[in-house]
Amino acid sequence: MAEDQNETNPVGRDEESELSRRELLKLGASAAFAVALTGLETNALAESAQGRAPLFFTREEFALVDELTELIIPADDHSPGARATRAADYIDFRLSESLEENPKTLWRNGLKRIEELSQEMHGQPFLKSSREQRIALLTRISQNETKPVKSEELFFNELKSRTARAYYSSKIGIHTEMEYKGNTYLKEFVGYDAT
Amino acid sequence: MTLIRLTRQSAAEVDLKKTYDAIVVGSGAAGGMAAHVLTAHGMKVLMLEAGKKLDIDKELKSTEWPYEHKRRGEMPPGFHALSLNEYNIRQPPYAANSKAQHVYSYVQGWGGPDYSKNIVVDEKDHPYTGTNYAWVRARLLGGKTNIWGRLALRLSDLDFKAKSHDDYGEDWPISYKDIAPYYDKVDLYLGISGVKENVAHLPDSIFQRPIKLTYAENKLRQSIKKMNRLLTPYRAGVTTDGLKHNKYRSKCFGRGACNRRTGGCDIHAAFDSPTGLIMPAMDTGNLTLRTNAIAREVTIDKKTGKASGVAFIDAETGRTYEAKAKVVVIAASTLESARLMLLSKSDAHPNGIGNSSSHVGHNFCEHIMGPHITGLVKDLVGKPRTLDDGKPGSFYLARFRNLNERNPKFIRGYGFEGGSGTSIYPGNAGSTPGFGSSYKKSVRDYAGAFMSMGAFGEVLARYENYVDIDPSVKDKWGVPVLRFHYKFGDNEKKMADDMADTAQEMFTEAGFEIVDLSRRILTEGWSIHELGTARMGTDPKTSVLNQFEQSHDVKNLFVVDGSAFASASCQNPTWTIMALAWRSCDYLADQFKKGSL
Repeated sequence: MAEDQNETNPVGRDEESELSRRELLKLGASAAFAVALTGLETNALAESAQGRAPLFFTREEFALVDELTELIIPADDHSPGARATRAADYIDFRLSESLEENPKTLWRNGLKRIEELSQEMHGQPFLKSSREQRIALLTRISQNETKPVKSEELFFNELKSRTARAYYSSKIGIHTEMEYKGNTYLKEFVGYDAT
Repeated sequence: MTLIRLTRQSAAEVDLKKTYDAIVVGSGAAGGMAAHVLTAHGMKVLMLEAGKKLDIDKELKSTEWPYEHKRRGEMPPGFHALSLNEYNIRQPPYAANSKAQHVYSYVQGWGGPDYSKNIVVDEKDHPYTGTNYAWVRARLLGGKTNIWGRLALRLSDLDFKAKSHDDYGEDWPISYKDIAPYYDKVDLYLGISGVKENVAHLPDSIFQRPIKLTYAENKLRQSIKKMNRLLTPYRAGVTTDGLKHNKYRSKCFGRGACNRRTGGCDIHAAFDSPTGLIMPAMDTGNLTLRTNAIAREVTIDKKTGKASGVAFIDAETGRTYEAKAKVVVIAASTLESARLMLLSKSDAHPNGIGNSSSHVGHNFCEHIMGPHITGLVKDLVGKPRTLDDGKPGSFYLARFRNLNERNPKFIRGYGFEGGSGTSIYPGNAGSTPGFGSSYKKSVRDYAGAFMSMGAFGEVLARYENYVDIDPSVKDKWGVPVLRFHYKFGDNEKKMADDMADTAQEMFTEAGFEIVDLSRRILTEGWSIHELGTARMGTDPKTSVLNQFEQSHDVKNLFVVDGSAFASASCQNPTWTIMALAWRSCDYLADQFKKGSL
């Protein structure tokens, strides 16, 4: 149901472009322009959904995921962090359409486990705890990154892997953070001649 | 409705009443080359391709950024790529009982699989049985050339005369001097990039503008010179200067898309059979193309025992047709060609056509893969970003084993392919420990500082490694499928161990810090270089084809793809497949004109 709503009635900017597109089509505007707007919507789905109902997570879970992704890849003086790339939206979208139960369960239970640990370690919900406390919790569950055993350790790896995937394939990740120089037309190859 | 209409139209393209000069089965590197050469000789050719004609330029979208794609290049739910683990813990057919709607071979697990999911086959429709094998197939016009890795190497007499060198297997019925002029023709007609090195066992081509090396690759090149080993820029089957005689292809502009995706070049700088060979052949007016035509059987003239044409199934309607020709050229890919020959049984050829030797499907060989290494190039850590992936390949490290010396543990050899430097996605994001600012900075600082390479080694041709027809399992079109009886042997396993040792030795010599060294052998088939199932030879009792890839048994039958190889060599096969096919089709056309087929 939530998924249907989001596809047919996206709020905010999405709704505007949807309306505009319909208006344009009614007015007989060029198909090319309509296609361009459709492209915008696709981008909107991939890059921005904060503020509207998430597709897979509850609003509370989404807020938690959003913060966790930013803790994994934070903004620094070099570039913005995962939050600015809407990493949580991408994770939410991919989980919402997944036909597999495993990742969904892993995330639901993982987020619950984060809250349990937050209560256990700091006596309050994760998002109410201080930045130091949040980092302390993540530090604890990342101890066995190479050989995770406990459920929260497995969840950390899943969280980190999906966050990295979303972040480094985003516009900010590719261009601002990594300063990627390729995917362009070159007259000459770059590098060292084989001598 | 549209589909049916189109199918009828394309069915009508074939004149079933006409006897063509030749039918070519398959449209990949081998089939494309056969069509090019035979039509250039003025022969009227019908090409049958089992797959569809895909508008490839609309599929590949080479310069689309990951964030412009809804799933960052990944496939939608329900589309599944087989993992290494699945290949090993399960038995073929791998897609049986899968919950996914569509199942693809492992190559669909690479970057940007959504762009190539219409190129490789859906394993659900195309089962096979028997031993574990990662069989990668592309059923469409151009076959696997639409996504090939483009490494275009020549073989040498160390390969063609391997038996004379180490007394194992069979020599090829040709020498380097027989094929060299045809390698030249392929170089000039299709374009190849590389650097002349004057190394006897890796003969030079007629090269266009070479690819450059990264700092790390150059460092390794210089270091291993002392060991008398060669690292050379990727010899890419890519036109880097352009081809004046081909209006369908552009020169390479170093967009690097070929490495960000499963493969494929939508400006066709990289060779693919449709733009490189088939479309120019169509322009001669001598080529008729029928796609969605699954060759079911080579038909026989009962009076003469010769091939009379090909029966094929329309992939859309399931209807069977029969096209007639004076010569049949099979180029369906090594394993599919063997399958077609084995399926073509008749009173005259009870074992399958051209199979009086019982060698069709046997001597199946390829390249073993697995051992690989990753090193950290410390001088590059934290250095300003460079553009390292704007090229169609990185490097090739030539064979150095069993050249003049004799290794005590194994015969034959292996080479390495690899890469280094920055790419669009930082591979170290997954392997860098921790989280937070220090993780982020570490990924950034180290991303361009890694170098990796993995080996491709010769698998010995052995009679006991073979495919045959499964007696009960059929594909979606009711055609009996292949059953694999194929395993790596002791020589391959010992060679694989040596690959890891020498990789370590060379990275150490170059001063790289080794961060990963794997000895694990990948599932049989991983190299996508299957060869040898209808080998050439001088003795009709132990080989299927003569030196012109002509059947010993049926003189108007030719098999011009990788199945003709008498041994696998360790060099990538595509350029040799095409040079051989050109030579064989020159011979075919000559014999045809003389009326001796």
